[in-house]
Amino acid sequence: MLHHGRAALARLFELFRDRSRVDAEQAEEIRFHIEMETAENIRCGMTEAEARRAALLRFGGQQRFEEETRDARGLVVVDNLARDARYALRRIVRAPAFAIGVIATLGVGLGTAVGIGAIVYGVLLRDLPFASPVQLVRIGFHTDGLAESNDLHSPPTFIHFAESGRSFSDLGAYSTSDAFALTDGAVAERVTVAMMSPSTFDLLGVRPLLGALFERRDTSWVSDQLLPVLISQEIWERRYGADPTIIGRRIEIDHGARVVIGILPRAFKFPRPSVSVWYPSALNVGNPQITTRHLTVIGRLRDGATIAQAQAELNTLVPALSTRFPQITSELLQQSRARVSVESLKSATAAPVRTQLILLGVLVAVILVIATTNVVNLFLLRTERTGHEIAIALSLGAGRLALAQRFVVEGVVLGLASGFVAIPAAALALSTKFGFTEREIPRLHEVSFTAGIIALIVACAALIGGMVGCIGLLRAGRAGLSDRLRASRASSSPRWRRARNGLVAVQVAIALTLLVAAALLGRSFWNLQSAHIGFEPANAMTFQAPLPWGAYRSYAEQAVFHARLQDRLAGFPGVTAVGGALHLPLRGRGALGYDLQLRASNDASRPTVPGTGNLANSDYFRSLGVPIRAGRSFQPGDLRGAPAVVLSERLAISIFGTTDVLGRSVTKLSPRPDIPSTTFRVVGVVGDVQRERIEDGYTPMAYFPLLQDGDGLPADSRPVPYRPTELQYVIRGTELPDAPAIQQIVRELDFRVPAANIRTLDSIVDDATAHVRLTMLLIAVAGAAALLLGVIGVYSVISYTAGERIREFGIRLAVGAAPKGIGLMVLGDGLKLVTVGTIAGLAAAFSLTSFLRSLLYEVAPTSIAEFAGATVLLVAVTLIAILLPARRAAGTQPAIVLRGE
Amino acid sequence: MGQRTSNEQVLQGTLDLLILKTLSIAPMHGWGLTRRIEQLSQDVLRVGQGSIYPALVRIEQRGWIDTEWRTTENGRRAKYYRLTAAGRRALGTELASWQRFVDAVGLVLAAEG
Repeated sequence: MLHHGRAALARLFELFRDRSRVDAEQAEEIRFHIEMETAENIRCGMTEAEARRAALLRFGGQQRFEEETRDARGLVVVDNLARDARYALRRIVRAPAFAIGVIATLGVGLGTAVGIGAIVYGVLLRDLPFASPVQLVRIGFHTDGLAESNDLHSPPTFIHFAESGRSFSDLGAYSTSDAFALTDGAVAERVTVAMMSPSTFDLLGVRPLLGALFERRDTSWVSDQLLPVLISQEIWERRYGADPTIIGRRIEIDHGARVVIGILPRAFKFPRPSVSVWYPSALNVGNPQITTRHLTVIGRLRDGATIAQAQAELNTLVPALSTRFPQITSELLQQSRARVSVESLKSATAAPVRTQLILLGVLVAVILVIATTNVVNLFLLRTERTGHEIAIALSLGAGRLALAQRFVVEGVVLGLASGFVAIPAAALALSTKFGFTEREIPRLHEVSFTAGIIALIVACAALIGGMVGCIGLLRAGRAGLSDRLRASRASSSPRWRRARNGLVAVQVAIALTLLVAAALLGRSFWNLQSAHIGFEPANAMTFQAPLPWGAYRSYAEQAVFHARLQDRLAGFPGVTAVGGALHLPLRGRGALGYDLQLRASNDASRPTVPGTGNLANSDYFRSLGVPIRAGRSFQPGDLRGAPAVVLSERLAISIFGTTDVLGRSVTKLSPRPDIPSTTFRVVGVVGDVQRERIEDGYTPMAYFPLLQDGDGLPADSRPVPYRPTELQYVIRGTELPDAPAIQQIVRELDFRVPAANIRTLDSIVDDATAHVRLTMLLIAVAGAAALLLGVIGVYSVISYTAGERIREFGIRLAVGAAPKGIGLMVLGDGLKLVTVGTIAGLAAAFSLTSFLRSLLYEVAPTSIAEFAGATVLLVAVTLIAILLPARRAAGTQPAIVLRGE
Repeated sequence: MGQRTSNEQVLQGTLDLLILKTLSIAPMHGWGLTRRIEQLSQDVLRVGQGSIYPALVRIEQRGWIDTEWRTTENGRRAKYYRLTAAGRRALGTELASWQRFVDAVGLVLAAEG
């Protein structure tokens, strides 16, 4: 035993020895041998030529010598690998259906799994692309006691923590805005601007591609002096022709000139990939408050500081806010339950999509399990079928090891072949990213198809193939030689039958789990689709027109521009209504601002209620298809006296307790003590819409008038809480203008105004259901694949088992059993399998669907109807897979079967 | 690995035994080994010179012999083979089993019909 191990080790060692050195030594040894033999022959009286010839002859064929020593040295393993690979290829070509089945299953499974896996890894697990990323944290400021429930900061809280916090080497604050446009050159271009504190760049460790970064004192942008900006490499190349003299030059943004001081490299996509201009953040503490907050704050931990320490430290600093800023009273801090949270920036970035990504991760595992299971199953069935061949090979003296190698090589060859499917599948998955965009999944731009992924696929494909080959080998190696020959066609061992049945039951369970999930999501999607959204999305389009800062200073000036644009748009043939508002329904998560506190002016018993404010022109409700329930829309004169307001039904009820509110007065509470509250009279009540997402329910909304010319009021008056600096237009009509026509009209009115986000209202509604639709489609595809694979599994196992028992059936029939009884026996076998799988699947679905809760809309995670529906579908389909072999078994012809054996 | 008839294996086993026995007398190179076996058997056994090297490699991998490049008495470099301690023990076992084989064959042949 010992020297066997030693010999194996020596062989292994030989494999890694320098082959040329070994060969050289061998050659020298042979040369020595031949020379000695020649010399001996000469001594016996031969001539030199004769002697040499005799020596060579005696030594034997060089070829044979080399083969034998090589074999003994173990190099034979390498040679055999090539031979086995050729053998595997021959076998694959001989049974193409088997090979195609394996390659397709494994290829698609592996490709999808690696594609999804790369996204999950890139977003959830991979380090952020900054220096020492583990030290980066996001610092949240929470006021659970206030209506404002985000985790953002206001300038005073940021400044306070940045100056007092000891756990951090630096803190940075930023916010982004889409409401800017580059106005130099011929075409105005909408850009996303990030307003960042200069410290943010330092703490992220970014270096400019060209030029310099902000200095610490660059902290204001609302000022008259020329102010520095940074621009992205992308816009520098595209808009400014990669001209290096841009540094120090002025560019026009909205109203005024900015000086470009640096270009940020393409790789820097913070806070979002869409950002192309960076301003130094304005940290205005003229009016210190914590009720309106818009700054995201990040920090870099000092060496050695932990997240828990940092969070504890910042929380002890909260009360001191009121010492530094007396306007932020300690009562307010207490009442608002102000607190600070510190979380790693990586996990904070992924937080909004963590549930879905974990779900996707589970999906990856499921896909891989299904694919591997099926390949194993195919291999097992094939091993059964080729058992005879193996038995013969064994009896002819084929070594176990050689046979093992043959199996593993076949598995690896098939695995590698599946790589040809898996690599394009993964490339497709990663280039389309399953239709996801940056809007749904943060950091998606960091995920791409790389050489590493190809290597991973090849490695996984070879590994899975090898593993599957090993399982086939175990099966072949298990049965003794004589057993195999004797029982080659009769039956398989109970143990392996159980293993095979178990695999199929697992597939049925997985298929059912996925089907239930798909059914629940399908119902959610249906509910969302048929939910009452409160407006008519068909035959309407929208775009936004942001006015340049400062160019239109007052409500009246801005209203005039919009009135002119509205007239021009109404002139398009087929257009029936042109509406304008500050924001449209279904803007998606994180819609900012416009929060109001309202109450009935003349009824002290009614409470103050929160609402969302908006501006609307007289055609807005008609253009959007929002029904007017009572009263009217706006008309000239509505700004005079107490300005008019239109309430949504829900808001009317929460303010007054009724919708019969025409002519009543509403008071809008001022957010600041130095500004008096204002009173409006209700002129209309309109239907409800959802502001952010369908799932969030109706938004109580108050619309203020946007009238032609400001109703002739003085230019500096502020009759309503908002100015129409940026307006969302809605165009309804039997025929709609195209994007270039709209851009043309806007440019003619003012070349500095870009027409952005030109799209149909339908697409907005689509977006609102996109998150559910995508997950549903993914799971439905996986579920359909699982169902199909499960059915194939059930069919192959049942028909194979029936085939094994065909002799038994023949005997039974011959001694008088009814064919029906035989069919029922097979049916019973199949049903047992499906029942076990179904029960397991229902149990798994029951415990797993709660993970879907955040995606479900008006359907419970354990909804009986969806569970029942999925089960019925599964059982029905698998029943067909059982009935076919059962019928075949019932039709067994005893005479033929028995004679055949 | 390959497929060998049982006949070949017996011969091979015998060759191994002869090599071990010869090397137990003194370390020597491959050619010397073939010569010595022929001499000792008084030229009855003709060792296939090409097959002695595969046998040597095989025996070496079992750890029964060591190899070393040395200079011969007439100044040539040659690969010498030497029995190891394990080889000596193996020789004992192989000899015993060979003896059993010879005895068994003898018994059969001595049987009277």
